[in-house]
Amino acid sequence: MVKNKPMGLYVHIPFCSKKCDYCDFVSYSMNKKAQQQYLDALFSEIDLVKRQYIGKTFDSIYIGGGTPSIVYEGFIAGLARKLFSSFHFAEKTEFTIEINPASFTKEKFFEYVQAGINRISVGVQCLDSKLLALHGRLQSLENIKGTFDILRNSQFPNVNGDLMIGLPGQTRSSVLKTVKFLIKNKVKHISTYGLQVEKGTMTFDKIRRGKFKSIPDKKTVSWYNKIYKLLKKNDYIRYEISNFAKPGFESKHNSKYWDETNYLGLGVPSHSFVDGYRFYNTKRLDTYIDAMNDGKSAVYSKEYLSKANRRTERIMLSLRTIRGLDLEQFEQDFNENLLVSRKDQIDLLISKNMLKIEDGYLKVTDKHFYVSNSIIVSLI
Amino acid sequence: MSRQDKIRNFCIVAHIDHGKSTLADRLMEHTNTVSKRDMEEQLLDSMDIERERGITIKLTPATMKYTCNGEEYTLNLIDTPGHVDFSYEVSRSLAACEGAILVVDASQGVQAQTLANVYLALDANLEIIPVINKVDLPSADIPGTKKEIEDIIGIPCDEACEISAKTGLNINTVLDAVVKYVPAPKGDSSKPLKALIFDSYYDSYKGAVSMVRIFDGQVKVGDEILFMQTKKSFVVTEVGVYKPQAVETDCLKAGEVGYIAASIKTVSDTKVGDTITLKNNPIDKALDGYKEATSVVFCGIFPLDGDKYQELNDALEKLKLNDASIHFTKETSLALGHGFRCGFLGLLHMEIITERLEREFNLDIITTSPSVEYKVYDNKGKEYDVTNPTEMPPLPTIQKMEEPIVKMEIITPKDYLGGIMDLCADRRGVYLDMQYIDANRTKLIYTMPLNEIVYDFFDKIKSISKGYASMDYELSGYNESDLVKMDILLNGEICDALSIIVHKDKAYARGRALCEKLKTVIPRHLFEIPIQAVIGGKVIARETISAMRKDVLAKCYGGDVTRKRKLLEKQKEGKKRMRRLGSVELPSEAFVTILKLDD
Repeated sequence: MVKNKPMGLYVHIPFCSKKCDYCDFVSYSMNKKAQQQYLDALFSEIDLVKRQYIGKTFDSIYIGGGTPSIVYEGFIAGLARKLFSSFHFAEKTEFTIEINPASFTKEKFFEYVQAGINRISVGVQCLDSKLLALHGRLQSLENIKGTFDILRNSQFPNVNGDLMIGLPGQTRSSVLKTVKFLIKNKVKHISTYGLQVEKGTMTFDKIRRGKFKSIPDKKTVSWYNKIYKLLKKNDYIRYEISNFAKPGFESKHNSKYWDETNYLGLGVPSHSFVDGYRFYNTKRLDTYIDAMNDGKSAVYSKEYLSKANRRTERIMLSLRTIRGLDLEQFEQDFNENLLVSRKDQIDLLISKNMLKIEDGYLKVTDKHFYVSNSIIVSLI
Repeated sequence: MSRQDKIRNFCIVAHIDHGKSTLADRLMEHTNTVSKRDMEEQLLDSMDIERERGITIKLTPATMKYTCNGEEYTLNLIDTPGHVDFSYEVSRSLAACEGAILVVDASQGVQAQTLANVYLALDANLEIIPVINKVDLPSADIPGTKKEIEDIIGIPCDEACEISAKTGLNINTVLDAVVKYVPAPKGDSSKPLKALIFDSYYDSYKGAVSMVRIFDGQVKVGDEILFMQTKKSFVVTEVGVYKPQAVETDCLKAGEVGYIAASIKTVSDTKVGDTITLKNNPIDKALDGYKEATSVVFCGIFPLDGDKYQELNDALEKLKLNDASIHFTKETSLALGHGFRCGFLGLLHMEIITERLEREFNLDIITTSPSVEYKVYDNKGKEYDVTNPTEMPPLPTIQKMEEPIVKMEIITPKDYLGGIMDLCADRRGVYLDMQYIDANRTKLIYTMPLNEIVYDFFDKIKSISKGYASMDYELSGYNESDLVKMDILLNGEICDALSIIVHKDKAYARGRALCEKLKTVIPRHLFEIPIQAVIGGKVIARETISAMRKDVLAKCYGGDVTRKRKLLEKQKEGKKRMRRLGSVELPSEAFVTILKLDD
């Protein structure tokens, strides 16, 4: 459907000075030597795969983590140079880096800007220092304020604030305080992520042992809806279930995940979606580095999406967006009229005011946007 | 000595887990009936479920040869099923014996089932041989166990065998005792044939095979035999004994235990308790004690996947080949689609059959709440037998209803007497009598509606008495009763599979309990779902399942879409096990919860 659209490029930086208790991403504690080895390995991977992308254009880069802002000075600049010299980029390429306020400095900021980064995503999560400390996140309110001071003073144009809801101990007022803070700092984009407590994390363990009480769904829903109203009032558009932006500031990169555009992931354990294949790299740093030293692929698993899986993904991804599901396109691609094949469910959900059809698009209504998982499940 | 003098017919009675099956295995091994190499643990329990639950459902007899004082004896071991649902089958097995080995665990002493079973054996006038098992355990108390047997059961234990069935210690003393104390059968081979069917099964080559004890006369291939209850006659194609595999012999004579095959198409013609005689030379009177296997508990069985209806039908047909006590007819439910109304001997029987359907036939099934057979009379005096709540005539047309009543006997240590009497009163029991068996044990006798015991009465008795009390019941007739049909409405629609017939006085409590329980098993939906209990249009209880307010607002981190997709697919998979009823999705557990309501 969108094969000719420019691709996205994701690079994972798997280093953190300390893992947050709730996090289940791949990260390793930092030391300069390991970082250097990793950067070398990334270069090798780029050299290994770049030939396959000759003739393809990229229009987004996203450096995520882990904590990309923690690596030594020069890492990001070097990486950026390598990327620009290895792949073909569109003129208006969105180039994002995720930063943690605890490790963000003016020097790093200059490095990023010079490297061509034009979008910074700040991992704010919550303004409550005590709560952040409780969850093992190394950043203080001062760090956060300092970060926004740097960004504001330089009039950096495109900032995203990440916000987490549902952290045990969080309150409605602390959530809203954080949102208001972001609005006041004129961020162009806000992502709100509901905490999903994953097995194997400290948070999971603490909840299981009764040290933390998880926040009931009812509460997070009401917080989410309040955030939605607040942001709407301040001219943010909810263009996807977790993503709000001022008009024109929707993330190009994030959108690729939802509209089935190709994207390439580099590093551990990055995920890619290219011409119908989903694949991802090993999550082990040593395995990755060894593979790259040997000039071998680091791909751990690769799957060609069957039609059935593509169908599931289409429903699941498009209903997360404000645009919704293009019914005509769906019928063209899957030879199935969803309004016929899922008539009972769709009729029921429309009668319950959970779904609506507008201009040939099936959409989840505002009020039920947040509970869309179950709506999606009844359609797949 | 005549042939009959060297036959001993006996069974083993024991409390569950006291080592009955292990002892049976050891006896066969010791008499070289089965070589150690071929020994499969607990040979007589041939079904997986029997082995897992440690209970015997289908009987397998074994004929053993044992030499004692230079004489070779034929020992016929007839196994007995060990549950109240099969008490009739037990009584027929006992009727085929002259003696019983009473196995008691030396570390646990006399237990409830020991008593229940030993009384059945005493009723059948069997010679009881006490055997103390597990004497090798450090916790074994041999003198104490003997004293208990003497005090409570009243059987002298001076010469009781002290064995370990597990290690094989002193197994020969048991065999010697069987020869010494169990009386030889006293039949007359020259008289007309009189044989008791104590069990039957279906063999795909031989047809329905009757397991028999010959009391008088003899039977051989070519004889025309008559089944006195069913009045059907067949020509014998094969006779034989069990070693424990079926082995063909020339003929079966008075006193012997074996099988008769006669190309009979269904086990419905070889009914347990029936008497076999010769068509041309019949006896006048059949053996006493025959009863029709009547279904007392009924429930609906439906395939979880509606497409599997035919498979379910085939599976039931196959089970029926071997178990004449299962009855089934087609049933259609609005909620569950096509399925069967099935009748069983009791709750355990029902559980076993449903478990076999799932395990042996790989079917996912839904069972509806068990019911009994009610008699309903309408205004015009017409009588209906109702085993399915959905078949109840409309309330205004009903003149009166009757429900089956049982006579219930419960034997309990006196410590639990109060709790058990409370339970009986709660279950509409009418106290008849209380007898002191000994200083410690009491027998309670009640009449009680059957529908009060089909749900969980047995479990309750066991839990109140910490497993020490035992119960037995028999149908005693029908009583008029104030019964109503209670429907359950989900989101305003009747779920027929959840309807039950209940006594008016208990309807409110039960309706409330049911609604509360359903609230816990039905998952939240996207919208609110009222659950209502309704009698004749009047709502008597209501609960509401609030709308789901939950979703995983997770990021497709670094483009990991697969993980999210798999999560949704898993959620979807979970929904496949649900039954859709109008706008409500019900997990199959919802139907089971009705059985397990705690009042």
